[in-house]
Amino acid sequence: MSGIQKFACWTLAAIVLGGIALSIIVPADYTVQFRETPNAVPTHQHLLGTDELGRDRLARVLYGTRISLLLAPAAAFLSTLMAALIGVVSGYFGSWCERLALAVTDLVLSLPWLFLMLAVRAVLPLNVSPLTSVVITFLLLGLLGWAASARVLCTGTRVLRNSDFILQARASGLHGFRLLAVHIIPNLKPVLYAQFLISVPVFILSEANLGILGLGVAEPLPSWGSLLRELEGWGGFSTEPWKLAPMLLLILVVSCFQVILAREEVSA
Amino acid sequence: MNTSEPLLSISLSVGYRGKSAVLRNVALEIAPGEVLGLVGQSGSGKSTLALAILRLLELKRGRAEGTANFQGRDLIALKESELRRIRGKEIGLVLQSPLSSLNPALRIGTQMFEAWGAHARGPSERRRHSVLEALASVSLPADDVFLQRYPSQISVGQAQRVLIAMAVLHRPSLLIADEPTSALDVITQSEILALFGKLNKEMGMAVLYISHDLLSVASLCHRIAILHEGVIVECGRVAQIFGYPVHPYTQRLVQAMPDKTALIARAPVARLAASAAVPT
Repeated sequence: MSGIQKFACWTLAAIVLGGIALSIIVPADYTVQFRETPNAVPTHQHLLGTDELGRDRLARVLYGTRISLLLAPAAAFLSTLMAALIGVVSGYFGSWCERLALAVTDLVLSLPWLFLMLAVRAVLPLNVSPLTSVVITFLLLGLLGWAASARVLCTGTRVLRNSDFILQARASGLHGFRLLAVHIIPNLKPVLYAQFLISVPVFILSEANLGILGLGVAEPLPSWGSLLRELEGWGGFSTEPWKLAPMLLLILVVSCFQVILAREEVSA
Repeated sequence: MNTSEPLLSISLSVGYRGKSAVLRNVALEIAPGEVLGLVGQSGSGKSTLALAILRLLELKRGRAEGTANFQGRDLIALKESELRRIRGKEIGLVLQSPLSSLNPALRIGTQMFEAWGAHARGPSERRRHSVLEALASVSLPADDVFLQRYPSQISVGQAQRVLIAMAVLHRPSLLIADEPTSALDVITQSEILALFGKLNKEMGMAVLYISHDLLSVASLCHRIAILHEGVIVECGRVAQIFGYPVHPYTQRLVQAMPDKTALIARAPVARLAASAAVPT
């Protein structure tokens, strides 16, 4: 691992730690309003100032980090699981099963992803509790983001299916799901792992996209996307630079993931 | 050789989808306990035949027609579920590339245990005992350290022995070896050949030994069949094939074999003695 990758790992670790230990760092919970000081500039008490409702911005950014960094890997896990199920089973059984799965995958891939996500989110009720909105966002990302991974896994499984050691295993009398579980899945572990890691930054950004449009995690719960909504009617860099904090954090985390992933691709 | 009912009697034509036939009316018989050598050059359809007998060709989009009678059952007409009970239990298969035939992600032990579990049930102690016994029978270290290894941590020769151990795990009555020595160096080759001879004698299993190397086949087999362009052109006892080859292709094969005495005769004796002297 090179220096810059170590740095990326440590940065991610520090951000995660900040998200976990937020109650020690910040003066109040993310919902607490300091009504006498709305829209405050950074002070000793509020390091990033307060928002228009008087809530501590640092508390909201760190709590948003917690939500975004939990939601994205969870959604990545769900989508990788779906991709594994669809890709591996279709690649292993081949013939019509593979053709059907690939046709569905192609269809999903050809749909404009953001618009599809917006359309599906718009169909679902918007007036839900904050926690339900988190679950809906998680399911939406997870259930719509499997197609590209499924294609990779389907091809990987097909290559394995035709390999010598699978032929040898069949000649030993192994077959069916036993062959799949014991001989094929362990060989797909690096691919599954890579697909999971690639999905994480994609879902962080997707959640932010939904959040900016007010379709992601609902108030009063903060997430990076909903925090970015503050930048509508932003005063500009010279007057309110601290409002860029959530965006900088988003860029930093996604960049860190990309730097670490670059290494995964080289070593894979 | 046993003159009673043959163990395996095949009459097969094999082709791949969209191509002309690879094997045309190949007829062979193997008696119980017999070692039959199948010789032919690359591309003559030897490996295709090995896979066709176990009906593993369908994965490679191949089609076999005809019959393959094994102990009174026609393998070509048998239901897939019944065939699975024969694969690995009554007919063992050893493929030609040892390292790619072992799963790189699994320990040797796991792969052996899986092969055992495909046809046997029982306590893990019995499973371990059978696997270690099979490893010992192919002169591999029969201990837990070896079972813990990954295929990348053993040599090619050891990998080939593991595959043979896996194939004889259930003491099949027929072992099909598809060019088992082609990836090995000469010394390991002769060791593996000796191993097949030993397994044949000790376990009494018949062996269909497929190779392009006539010499190695001659040292091991009772009978030899010559496959040329998808057809068996000649089949007979070793002495017959070497002494009185009938088909032109067989004659060419026999002539092409290196002759050790002729090689020695080519060099003057004095020079040989000088080069053989051990440096001090």
